Amino acid sequence: MLAKAWARRPVISRIVAAIFGGYALAALTSVAAVSLPMAKPEAVLTGLQLSFLVYALAVIWVFGARTAKRAWAGLVLAAAPLLLAAFPVWLGAGA
Amino acid sequence: MSAGKAEPAEPGLPKGQGIRQSMSDLHIWAGLLVGWILYAMFLTGTVSYFRDETSQWMRPELPAQHQPPDSAEVAERVAATLATVAAASSQWSIGLPTERSNIASAFWRNPQAQGRRAFQSGTFDPATGQALQVRETKGGDFFFRFHFDLHYMSPLWGRWIAGFCAMFMLVAIISGVITHKKIFIDFFTFRWGKGQRSWLDAHNMLSVFGLPFHFMITYSGLVTLMLMYMPWGSDAAFKTPVERQAMTSQMSAFVPAGKPTGTKAPMVPVADVVRQAQERWGRDNIERVTINNPGDAAARIVVVRGEAGRVSVSPQYLLFDGVTGKLVEAKDKVGPAAETRGVLYALHLGRFADTVTRWLYFLVSLAGTAMVGTGLVMWTVKRRARLPDPDKPYFGFRLVERLNIASIAGLPVAMAAFLWSNRLLPQGLAQRAEWEIHLFFIVWALMLAHAVLRPARRAWVEQLTLGAALLVLLPVLNAITTQRPLWRSIAEGDWVFAGYELGLWALAALLATLAVRTARHRPRARPVRKTAPAAQPSAAAAVGEGA
Amino acid sequence: MTHLALFMLCLAGFAALALGMERTQEDLFGRALTSATVRRLRVAGWVVLLAALACAVRAQGWSLGLVSYSGHTSLAAGVVFGALVLYGRLKPSR
Repeated sequence: MLAKAWARRPVISRIVAAIFGGYALAALTSVAAVSLPMAKPEAVLTGLQLSFLVYALAVIWVFGARTAKRAWAGLVLAAAPLLLAAFPVWLGAGA
Repeated sequence: MSAGKAEPAEPGLPKGQGIRQSMSDLHIWAGLLVGWILYAMFLTGTVSYFRDETSQWMRPELPAQHQPPDSAEVAERVAATLATVAAASSQWSIGLPTERSNIASAFWRNPQAQGRRAFQSGTFDPATGQALQVRETKGGDFFFRFHFDLHYMSPLWGRWIAGFCAMFMLVAIISGVITHKKIFIDFFTFRWGKGQRSWLDAHNMLSVFGLPFHFMITYSGLVTLMLMYMPWGSDAAFKTPVERQAMTSQMSAFVPAGKPTGTKAPMVPVADVVRQAQERWGRDNIERVTINNPGDAAARIVVVRGEAGRVSVSPQYLLFDGVTGKLVEAKDKVGPAAETRGVLYALHLGRFADTVTRWLYFLVSLAGTAMVGTGLVMWTVKRRARLPDPDKPYFGFRLVERLNIASIAGLPVAMAAFLWSNRLLPQGLAQRAEWEIHLFFIVWALMLAHAVLRPARRAWVEQLTLGAALLVLLPVLNAITTQRPLWRSIAEGDWVFAGYELGLWALAALLATLAVRTARHRPRARPVRKTAPAAQPSAAAAVGEGA
Repeated sequence: MTHLALFMLCLAGFAALALGMERTQEDLFGRALTSATVRRLRVAGWVVLLAALACAVRAQGWSLGLVSYSGHTSLAAGVVFGALVLYGRLKPSR
C-alpha cells in the first residue's frame, strides 16, 4: 500500500497544492488587497470577495498544469507579487 | 493544451493527459467527495425559499394574515412585553412580521450571562405582543439553518463543512465548464440517449440551463460567511475593535449598545418612532426595531429598513434618540465593495423576490439539486457497466451506491417526516421543537439503514414511493388534525396554506414519477466484456462531447 | 410588462435560437434550412432576448429586473429544451 502511495505522489502533491496552496494563495490575496488605494474597510471587503475566485482558479491551475512541479511553481509565481503587497500590511505600515 | 504526446508521462497520471481529461477527473472527484452533503444543502436551501410559508404551515393555530399588521403597533406591543420579561437587558431587538411571515420575533441580551448564552430569544404574537401560545416549533427555520449550520454540531463546524463543500462545488462548476467544449451550443443539441448517456444528458442539461444561478448561488454562499473563512485581511488591517467597527458597520445594521448613563428616563413610544420610518420607506417595509439601553437616558432606537424594492442587504437604518424620538442618524449608503457584498448576499437569500420570482428561484434551485443528484447517480451507472462481477461490487462502489439512495431518496422522506411530526407530536411535549428535529434525523438514519439492507433498486423504489406517499398524505393529515383543511384554505383565499399543500402534492407527484420510472427501468443486457479497452468511451469524450 | 409577458418573450427568443441550429432543423424538418433563414432566426432570437431584458429593466428597475430576467431566461431555456426532448420522444422513429 505504501508503494501505491509512493507511485501516486504527483497526484497527492497536487491535492496538497490545491487544497492548502490554493487556500494560502487566497488568504494572501485577502491580505494583499488591504494595500489597495482605498478606505481600509473597502479594501478588506474587496480582498475577501476576490479571494474565493483566486482559490477556485488556483485549484483549476493545479490540476490543469502539465506536471505537479509546474503546478507548485505556478502557485509560487502567483504568490510572489501578493507577498510583496502583503508585507507592508503585516508590518502595519501606513494607514 | 493538447495531449502532450512528446512529454514523458508522469507516474500516477495516464499518458497524454489533456486539459479536458484532467478537468473531467477533477470535476468527478470534487463532485463525488462532497456530493451527498451538497445535495442536502441544495435541497434544504431550495425549500428555504419558502421558509416563511413553511413556518406558517407549521403554526396552524395562527390565522392566515391577508395583510401584514402595522409594524409600528407590533413593535410597540412586543416592546411592552419585553419591558416585563427583559427589563434589565441592555438591548432588545424585534423582528417584525412581513407579507410572508405572520409572527414577530425578538432576541435580547441577558445581562447575567456571557458568550453564547448571552442572548435569549422568543417568538411573539403580532396581535397581542405576548409570547406565542402555539405549538412549539422551529418551522422553516430548521431547514434554513441546517442548510449552512448542519446540526448536532457547533455552528462553527457546520459552517466550515458547508464552506468546504461550497468551495468544491465552485471548482466543480468551473471544471465542468472547461471540460465541456461547446457547452452552450450543445445545450440545445443534447439528445435523450439511453442508459448511461441519458443520465449524462440530464446532468448536462440541468447544469447548463441554470448555470448563471448555480455559479451565483455558490459564490454568494461563500461570500455570506467570508469573514469566517478568510479572516486574514481583516485581522491584518484592523487592530482594535473600534477599527473593526468601521467595516462591520458597512455590513450590518447592528448598532452596539453604548454605555448606559444609569439615569432612568421614560422612553418615547416606539410606535411614533417607527411611523417616521414608515413615512420614509413604506408601511410594510420595516424589518427590525432594536432598542439599546431601554429605559435609560442614553436609550437609542434603531429602525432597520425592510427588504422590498432593492436587491441588497447592505445596512439601511434610522437611528433615533430613545427619549426624545429625534432622528440622530440616517444610514443609507455604503462603499462599492460593501454594496457588492450586500447584493451578493441578497441574491443568495432571495428575500426581495416577489411571488413569481420566488417560484423561479425555487425551480432553478430544484434543478440544481437534481443536477447534484444526477451527477451522483451517473457515477454508479457508469461504473456498474464496468464492474468485473456485478454481484460483488467493490467497497467504494457499494458505499457510493448506498449513500446515493440514503441522501437522494432518503432526505425527502426525512423532510416529509419532519412535517408529519409537526402535526402529530403532542402540544405539551417538553422540547417539542427539538423533537421534531430529532425525528427528522431518526427517519433519515432509518433510510440509511434501509438503503444498506435492501437490494439497491428496491431500496430506490421503496424510498421514493415512501416519500411520495408521505407528501401526498400530508394535506390529509392536516385536514384531520387541524381546522384548516385544503378546501377551506382555497375557499377562503388563504393561498399560503393552499399553495403550500398543493406544492406538496406536486413534489409528491415528482417523487412518484421517479419511483415508477426506476421500477420500470430494465438495465441493458451486459455487453460481452471481451472488447479492447480502446473501445470504451474515454471519460473526456463522455463528459466533453454533448451529442 | 407582466411576468407572463416577459416569460413569453424569453421563450420565443430561445425557440428562435434553437430553430437556428442545424441539429434542431434536422429533427423537426428533416433537413437544414437556408442560410438566410438561419441568419434571420438567430438575429431574431437575440433581438427578442435583448428586448425582454429591456422590458424587465423598464418594468422593475435594474436590480429586480436583472434578477427577474435571469430567472425567466433560465426557465425558458429549460422549457424549450424540454419541448425538443419531448418532441424527439413522441414522434415516430424513422
